[in-house]
Amino acid sequence: MNYGFNSEELAFRDEVREFLADYADLDGFYCQGHRWPEVRSMFSAMAQKNWLALTWPTEFGGLGKGPVHEYILWNEVAYARAARNPLAAGIVAKSIIRYGTAAQRATWLERIRTGDIHFSLCYSEPEAGSDLAGLRLKATLSDDGTCYELNGQKCWQSYAQDMDFLWVLARTGTQDSRGRGLSLFICDKAANGVRVAPLPTLDGDQLNEVFFDGVRVSVEQRIGDENGAWSIIGEALADERHIQFPPGRVRRDLEDLVAWLNDHDLGHDPMVRERMADLAARVLETEMLGRKVLATMVAGGNATVDAAMNKIIHTTVCQDIARAVLDLGGPEALVTGNRPELIWRQSLTETIGGGTSEIMRSVVSRQLLGLGG
Amino acid sequence: MDFDLNEDQQAVLESVERLLAQHAGPARAVALNRAGDYDHDLHAALEAAGFNQIARDLARDDTLAGLEAALTVEAIARSGGVVAAAAQMLVAPALCERTIEGPVAICTVGELTQPTPVRFAAHARSLLVLDDGDAYLVSPAPGTFEPVRTSFGYPMGRLSEGASVEPDREGQALGAGAADTLRNWWRLGLAVEAVGTMDAALGHTVEYLRQRRQFGRTIGSFQAVQHRLSLCAIEVEASRWLTREAAFHNAQPEAVAAAAAYALQAADTLFTETHQLSGAIGFTCEFDLHVWSMRLLALRQELGGVGAARRALVEARWGAA
Ligand SMILES: Cc1cc2nc3c(=O)[nH]c(=O)nc-3n(C[C@H](O)[C@H](O)[C@H](O)COP(=O)(O)OP(=O)(O)OC[C@H]3O[C@@H](n4cnc5c(N)ncnc54)[C@H](O)[C@@H]3O)c2cc1C
Repeated sequence: MNYGFNSEELAFRDEVREFLADYADLDGFYCQGHRWPEVRSMFSAMAQKNWLALTWPTEFGGLGKGPVHEYILWNEVAYARAARNPLAAGIVAKSIIRYGTAAQRATWLERIRTGDIHFSLCYSEPEAGSDLAGLRLKATLSDDGTCYELNGQKCWQSYAQDMDFLWVLARTGTQDSRGRGLSLFICDKAANGVRVAPLPTLDGDQLNEVFFDGVRVSVEQRIGDENGAWSIIGEALADERHIQFPPGRVRRDLEDLVAWLNDHDLGHDPMVRERMADLAARVLETEMLGRKVLATMVAGGNATVDAAMNKIIHTTVCQDIARAVLDLGGPEALVTGNRPELIWRQSLTETIGGGTSEIMRSVVSRQLLGLGG
Repeated sequence: MDFDLNEDQQAVLESVERLLAQHAGPARAVALNRAGDYDHDLHAALEAAGFNQIARDLARDDTLAGLEAALTVEAIARSGGVVAAAAQMLVAPALCERTIEGPVAICTVGELTQPTPVRFAAHARSLLVLDDGDAYLVSPAPGTFEPVRTSFGYPMGRLSEGASVEPDREGQALGAGAADTLRNWWRLGLAVEAVGTMDAALGHTVEYLRQRRQFGRTIGSFQAVQHRLSLCAIEVEASRWLTREAAFHNAQPEAVAAAAAYALQAADTLFTETHQLSGAIGFTCEFDLHVWSMRLLALRQELGGVGAARRALVEARWGAA
């Protein structure tokens, strides 16, 4: 057993830290919606180091590194609050590598690797949130078999306002075929019939609705088999489990709270200290659960349950820290844009986005405890 | 013992609810909050209908009608009304025989010396200030407080740069015992507002989950969800009873501290559970839940929050440490 990183991994971590020093004030993790041009240019700078393709096989232009390097990279980026890991180089590219045709790899991978194009994840719909397999957006193959027509609506798309392409999960089978009747498409956001509309959110940012009205997408833009999307999205998710909820973010929230308490001379209060000790232990809990996900992936195992446990605890600890921020911050914590308010605000949706805590609990109870249902 | 509202109390509640149906509601709250405004129209309507003075007007044998005032404030909170109802209807009558000009804001001296956001301060014509052992009534000149940007559901203000308020010099001292009176009625007001606000947040969530379908059935029909909503309902109901009891006893310190300690803790649970169970839509501005939920967090920030209420309870029951 070795809980630490080896010297090569530590050297990589130092290199990442050095790179991130230039982005200390970027705040893209919390505020990507307001900082996209800057975040995008950071991704381009990362691409110069080929870090967007860190774990892609070398034959596809990647560096061929393993999940530990990927974890180190995105954990440091989260700690620096620079950005969230981009969809394109992760879910999209890895699905294309695994399931794409040679032509699709040639068309998309290089543009993603260089940070030239970015994607928005179009899975959820107004009537398909927790129950994703119930989605309705319809993709109908044309009579001549050359293209699909997309009709329907997606909902809650993060950052869709700024992205170039959409990664769309659509129904190609019958409605009652559930997960067995879904296919994946790449759709240009600028295509005729695509409309993105903002959904202003309580954190002062936005999610989006994306409407598809007779949008034509060529068959070359379907990734994987028709009706074969369910396992592709499952595997793509599995590829990302160790970097989706990196503990660096939580550690940073805690450190910011401690700094704020010290600035306000609250660090001596025994009640405050007790609460901070509890939170510090919980941050360690998230770090251990994060490592457990990583360990399972390094060993080539299925990290579904580990990732569900990690997500539940990580996001709850985010909110516990945020609660302490409000409790200890007093009325000042209610002022828009103050650091404590920002930490609080950014914890709000974590237990919903990326699969709700309830759905994660069901994963643990079914798959770990074998409780059926 | 009689736990039912009597006819007069029932009539008070019905008439304020009629007025609120006309003058308040979530859409109005959203519009006012966006502009950081105070609802002067609702304030005036309540004034004209006599609700601002209800605690004194219905007083019997010189005993304030705390419960009737609390029922009114609870209903206003439930409606999302953007008025300083608790300060006007519960706190001010307990401190002064004459009517205090509204809107009324309340703060501690510390919040003036170390300028801190105070609910309704930017709109207040009267300011009740709590010092350790004294309480003062101040009439701040326009511009003394500047609006603060917040998304927590109430207009707030902070002492403007260069401005100062020295309550012991420019205010009216409210006499012996006024500090305790102010503290207790203020705390009662927070609990009452929390009750009405939690009630509405839970009602909104339950109604949504009754309609929202996933996995071929309504989300509200899942037992795991039902259990959590049941616990929320218990906390709201218990908060209501504790609070009404404290109001009935005209803000007796131990009853108030218990009510506030409980209700403000419940407010956190209600915030977390109603948002979690509403899913993504709960975080959008178009879904009304935030009208109430965000306020729950603001109420917890006042007068030292849950921690101070708990300390007050221990002190009231077992004496000072
Ligand atoms: C910040 C944020 C970003 C997002 N980004 C994207 C994105 O980029 N792309 C995208 O496609 N989607 C995105 N989503 C959508 C996200 O995937 C959904 O919000 C999520 O799947 C939950 O769906 P819902 O919001 O419709 O909640 P619902 O499914 O309506 O659920 C409401 C509540 O009921 C609970 N519940 C549901 N079923 C059960 C059950 N059987 N037992 C117990 N409890 C249950 C849920 O856990 C939740 O608490 C994002 C969401 C958020 C909040």
